[in-house]
Amino acid sequence: MTPNAIPGVQFLDPAVLARIGNLELVARTVVEGFLGGLHRSPHLGTSIDFAEHRQYMPGDDIRRIDWRLYGRVDRYYIKEYEADTNTNFNVLLDVSKSMSFGSGAATKLDYARTLAACLAYFSNQQRDRVGLITWDEDVVEIVPPSAKHLPNVLHALARATPTRTGNIERVFRKLNEQFKRRSMLLIISDLYEDPRNIMDAFAQLRGRGNDLMVMHILDTAELEFPYDGATSFEDIETGERIPVIPEYLRDQYRTMIREHIAKIEKLCGDQGIDYGLFDTSMPLDYALFAYLSRRQFLTRVR
Amino acid sequence: MAFLAPLFLAGLLALAVPILVHLTHKERKDVVVFPSLMFLSKIPYQAVRRQRIRHWLLFALRCLALILLALAFARPFLTKPAAAAPVRGLGARELVILLDRSYSMGYGDRWTRALAAARSAITGLGANDRASLVLFDGTATAATEPTADRAILTTALDAAKPGAGVTRYEPAFKLAQRVLADSKLPRREVMLISDFQRIGWDGRDTPALPSGTTVNKVDLSEPKTSNVAVTSVDFRRDYAEDRERVAITARLVNRSSQPKTGQSVTLELNGRAVETKQVNLLANAAATVDFAAAPLPTGTTRGVIRAADDALPRDNSFFFAISRGQALSVLVIDGREGGAPRSLYVERALGIGDQPNFRVTTKRLGSVTSADLVGRSLILLNDSDLPGGETGRRLVEYVQNGGGLLVSLGDRSAPRDRPSYATELLPATTDVIVDRSADRGGTLGYIDRSHPIFELFSAPRSGDFSTPRFFRYRNVTPSPGDEQLARFDDGHIALLERKVGRGRVLVFTSSFDGIWNDLPLQPVFLPVAHQLAKYAAAYADERPWSIVGQVANLPGLFRDSAGPPDAANKAEYVAVAPSGERKRIEGTATRSVELAEQGFYELQRAGSRTEPRIVAVNVDLTESDLTAVEPQLLTGAMVARAGTDSMSSAKEASTPVELERRQGFWWYLLAAVLLLLIGELVLSNQLSRRIAVPR
Repeated sequence: MTPNAIPGVQFLDPAVLARIGNLELVARTVVEGFLGGLHRSPHLGTSIDFAEHRQYMPGDDIRRIDWRLYGRVDRYYIKEYEADTNTNFNVLLDVSKSMSFGSGAATKLDYARTLAACLAYFSNQQRDRVGLITWDEDVVEIVPPSAKHLPNVLHALARATPTRTGNIERVFRKLNEQFKRRSMLLIISDLYEDPRNIMDAFAQLRGRGNDLMVMHILDTAELEFPYDGATSFEDIETGERIPVIPEYLRDQYRTMIREHIAKIEKLCGDQGIDYGLFDTSMPLDYALFAYLSRRQFLTRVR
Repeated sequence: MAFLAPLFLAGLLALAVPILVHLTHKERKDVVVFPSLMFLSKIPYQAVRRQRIRHWLLFALRCLALILLALAFARPFLTKPAAAAPVRGLGARELVILLDRSYSMGYGDRWTRALAAARSAITGLGANDRASLVLFDGTATAATEPTADRAILTTALDAAKPGAGVTRYEPAFKLAQRVLADSKLPRREVMLISDFQRIGWDGRDTPALPSGTTVNKVDLSEPKTSNVAVTSVDFRRDYAEDRERVAITARLVNRSSQPKTGQSVTLELNGRAVETKQVNLLANAAATVDFAAAPLPTGTTRGVIRAADDALPRDNSFFFAISRGQALSVLVIDGREGGAPRSLYVERALGIGDQPNFRVTTKRLGSVTSADLVGRSLILLNDSDLPGGETGRRLVEYVQNGGGLLVSLGDRSAPRDRPSYATELLPATTDVIVDRSADRGGTLGYIDRSHPIFELFSAPRSGDFSTPRFFRYRNVTPSPGDEQLARFDDGHIALLERKVGRGRVLVFTSSFDGIWNDLPLQPVFLPVAHQLAKYAAAYADERPWSIVGQVANLPGLFRDSAGPPDAANKAEYVAVAPSGERKRIEGTATRSVELAEQGFYELQRAGSRTEPRIVAVNVDLTESDLTAVEPQLLTGAMVARAGTDSMSSAKEASTPVELERRQGFWWYLLAAVLLLLIGELVLSNQLSRRIAVPR
């Protein structure tokens, strides 16, 4: 079923969104109408919603001892509540030169930054702390997570310009030291790396207890390879050129890229990482809707 | 269908353009920028794939447009078929196989290939087809009548072999023309199997085959040939101590672009190798080989010059037949005894002749007997009276039976002393002697240069007859039938010929002694004396050889031994060919035999026990020139002529409107080209849009 075939839903054309300069407006336009939250808080805090009892340990605040329970069982228990905020939501946006590719009006980076803005806005609405890291072969810019940093994040997204090649493994190894606290990490990239290298990079972040969400952005032309006529293809990052007759290579190319996607998806599934493939021709809100719906379903299952 | 401007069909070469265009995948100048080549670079790049033709429909449209355009410019027109014109490609076939059997087909493996081609044609006959086999060289022979029976054709083919004749195409085409014209079958075809020698076709019009006839050619010629031929033989006779010897010189020709070194040449006489020599031949050059003089045995000697075998052995052997006794026996009667002999000049002149040799015997009139006349080729009455009595009667018989008599008149040959029979041999002569000494002598004013005696001098600067001065001569009165061969400047007869029986009488009205004239002192005297003697004696050079295709006239050959004059014409003869074939020639038909084989023919009167006459026969050496004519020229001439004939007859019967209608076909072709180009434009635009590179 194609996105536009969903009855009663009017989705937003990415090309139209790309023409809107204000990312906040774009994000609000896209997110408006979403009912569910992005996530549940992974932390227990001081809110009115009781979560569980825990045995008192020396050092705990004695004001949190449930004295009524002590009266019944003659033991000290601490009452814990669900935290109502405080999740760090970090967007790790790939701004390597390959993200500047686009066969339509919007490039992959346009699509990605809109996606990032939407989710950051959405997350900020949930009082999460939002942060942004742009990277290519190195870290380009870091906006630390904060409840007040949404404008900074949006400005940083707007400023992002692809200039260099990408190296996900090296960057993520470096970023591993960055996250002192468990965070939600939204990785947006076209993932033109060997799947094993990608998973090695993801594993470093995942090992710290971070919740990883991967949005794999690819253009339709990258998926379908609709070219014709003998020509030379130039690697947008390295400048390398090779002669190609697309009609003779199309089938093999499609097979290879589908195998690549399938492998990443499987490895991500094995590691408990949410993976979503985003075709830049899909309406942004539809893609978000589909992704978040799936994520909510998976969260309940877990 | 034919074309008015067929040269424009060369435009079909432009078909190479769309083929190249479609085979060559021209790379776009704009490079496609792609996010990553990590997948593309893993796919092996195969350049060969670039050479496949894509877009077959577009390719076909372009090719078809070009073809139609070329056809339109070539101005096609529809030929109007004749009423009885056969329909090509349909129905039964009348096939005429023309198989060249000239001796040049014996070169290398030509004959084997020719037989294979003919057998293939016979095998390919359909159930309703008919074929006939025609063998040709100088003449054409139908080896079979038109038949559908392959066995008959194959048998005739098996019996065929290369002959000794030369190639001529015209008789073969005429025979094919007749066979095809008589055929009722719808398809007519001629298969010409030949080495296509240039000498066989003089470039003139060939007989036109019936309209619609297909001519298939099987060209057996090779681009490079090598052939050495013995082309002629010369003889030099000499007599030493009454023995006749002959020195033979052979001439060889190398008809190839490569020189031949160490070519061996052998002289055989009567089957025995006498001498072998080596000769070097330059490319496309001739050389002579001189053999040592050898004594000639009695009778006819069979001689052969053999060169070492090459790819064409027929022309490596040259046959000849020579015999002794080629000298003319001349009896000179030098007046009566008592006076000084006056035959010095004429004896000397005849004595140095070698072609033929003259054996001169001089006698005074009184000593001449009847026996002296026997066996003479010529009797010269040199300023002498005629012999009387029995000798005179024998002289008349001698002349009537073919003997030659040459008479010179001088002061000793007074007409009043002549015997009665003289009027039969000599013209009337008056006693008056024309004396021109007062005006420094007369000259010859008229000479019949068309006569065999003076034909030798007919060319410019070949005999000066203006210098001899004639101071005296006798006045003769010719009889009817006498021929005046020369006259003096005052109109008197100088030389007169009279036919007596089978013999000839020549009368020279002056003398040969240098008294009445200074002719013997002039350079022209020697050849004139030889010519007079040879003509009077009816001497003819013996032909040492004949050429294949010539005819031997048997009564002429056996005239001397036939006895009475008519006996030779009525006799029966036997001819034995070189192959051993024996043939009896009899009846009232012309008694002659065609010399069709190379080698020695033996000819003899039937029942005679004398030695047979030997006739050497050689192949015609024009055939040894293996240069080939372009087969298309020959077959094209036949077909084109047939086509022209049909066209011209159609033109006469057509109206201008009809002609225009038949030639207006090119309009439709151009319209079709226009439609195709529009279709090509639309299709190529669609394809271009479809393959546009996304950005």
